[in-house]
Amino acid sequence: MHLTGFDRFVWAATFCGHLVLLFVLFVRGRAHSFPAFTAYIAEKIATTIVLYLVLRHFAFATYRSCYWSLYIVDEILQLLVFYELAAKVFCPTGTWGRDVRATFLGLVGASALVSLLLTWLAYPAAPLEIQTFILRSNFFSAALMSQLFVGMVVLSSTAGLPWKNHAARIAQGLGAYSIVCVAKDIIINYVGLSQHARLYNQMSHLRILTYLGCEVFWIVMLWLEAPAPRDLPKSTRMQIYKLHKQVEYDLTRIRTWRGN
Amino acid sequence: MRSLFFVVLAAMLLVVLVSVLLRHYLRARRAEQLTWEDLLKRLTWVDRDNIAMIAMDVITESGEPRTEDSSFALEPSAIWTLLGGLEGLEALEQNCHVLVELAAYVQKWYPEALVVAEQLRLNAREIEWHVGRLKGAAKTGNLQSSFADYAQRAAVIYYLMTRHVLSLYEQAHLPGLADLHQAI
Repeated sequence: MHLTGFDRFVWAATFCGHLVLLFVLFVRGRAHSFPAFTAYIAEKIATTIVLYLVLRHFAFATYRSCYWSLYIVDEILQLLVFYELAAKVFCPTGTWGRDVRATFLGLVGASALVSLLLTWLAYPAAPLEIQTFILRSNFFSAALMSQLFVGMVVLSSTAGLPWKNHAARIAQGLGAYSIVCVAKDIIINYVGLSQHARLYNQMSHLRILTYLGCEVFWIVMLWLEAPAPRDLPKSTRMQIYKLHKQVEYDLTRIRTWRGN
Repeated sequence: MRSLFFVVLAAMLLVVLVSVLLRHYLRARRAEQLTWEDLLKRLTWVDRDNIAMIAMDVITESGEPRTEDSSFALEPSAIWTLLGGLEGLEALEQNCHVLVELAAYVQKWYPEALVVAEQLRLNAREIEWHVGRLKGAAKTGNLQSSFADYAQRAAVIYYLMTRHVLSLYEQAHLPGLADLHQAI
């Protein structure tokens, strides 16, 4: 497998970026709030090391097996990160808001369905069957993640659920990256690899540069503290809790009226 | 042909995702700059006496359900008139959107009041749901059958919730009480 100087540079930069990001997550205490995201970044570091060693010391077939096994782990962790962020937005009090549960499940189902349909339609021309499979699976993953993140933004905005600062920043990075991946994968799946290997390389560079940008964004944003909450006067706090009790009582009665 | 279908549909998906994301991002940025007072100014005037009249048909002054035979006496047509028709319903819906935003504001800046803010948000969403059903029924011509189920319930929840919010404002001496009183 031939790697250019640029390939080596971005590989090293991404690896260093992950190390710095992991350092920030632990030193600034974010790892506790975002365990899935921390695991995702740690997995990226481990993947890079493992694949590098396997490529140097083992046959290409072994490298391919490792690559696919780790790819599946990566996909599962991405979904866990999505769930972690969704839980932070849609479970502000520890339980899922009853107005968003069904819509959220619908969002996941619809995103998976649309991604599957589009992936079925895609059939990129490539010298090897395995390359076609890789291109299609990359597209499926990017399409699914981008829809999930955009859907989550829309749902939270409609339901009036605010994003906490760091969760919003992680989602912005992942959302922007997955959208760039979708754009790249649409082009690659359309033109194929057979006669456009150069275009594939350029698109891959665009993807990796976007990811590097996201890494820098996460490092800066997760290093900074979230805006401090404002002080709520004690008397107001008591009144607000009283209001909560009253409204809850009223609603319990109203829901038992005729029609229910 | 299959590739063409793929590229057209996938490009459409991409355009939709980017435009939806941009729209919501810009909306969120605007919302971040809003103050509590800005949100209150967005409340639409509704005839509170009429809402109270609809509510009093089924609950007492103290908020308890009426047990006597005279409860649920208002006909759907009277409720429709008192609410101000579809325009009145839309004003209620608009105010619920603002109440949802007020709850989001409290959740964001006063995390200690998270539980009650979430409850207020859910209440406002419940009214939105009732009003949404009514608007849907109006569009499909089924308003008559749906009205009694949804309109009075929405009006009563709205009435009680706004009364509690006003009471909270009065007791806690929060700013903007006069504006809020006029609006909701």
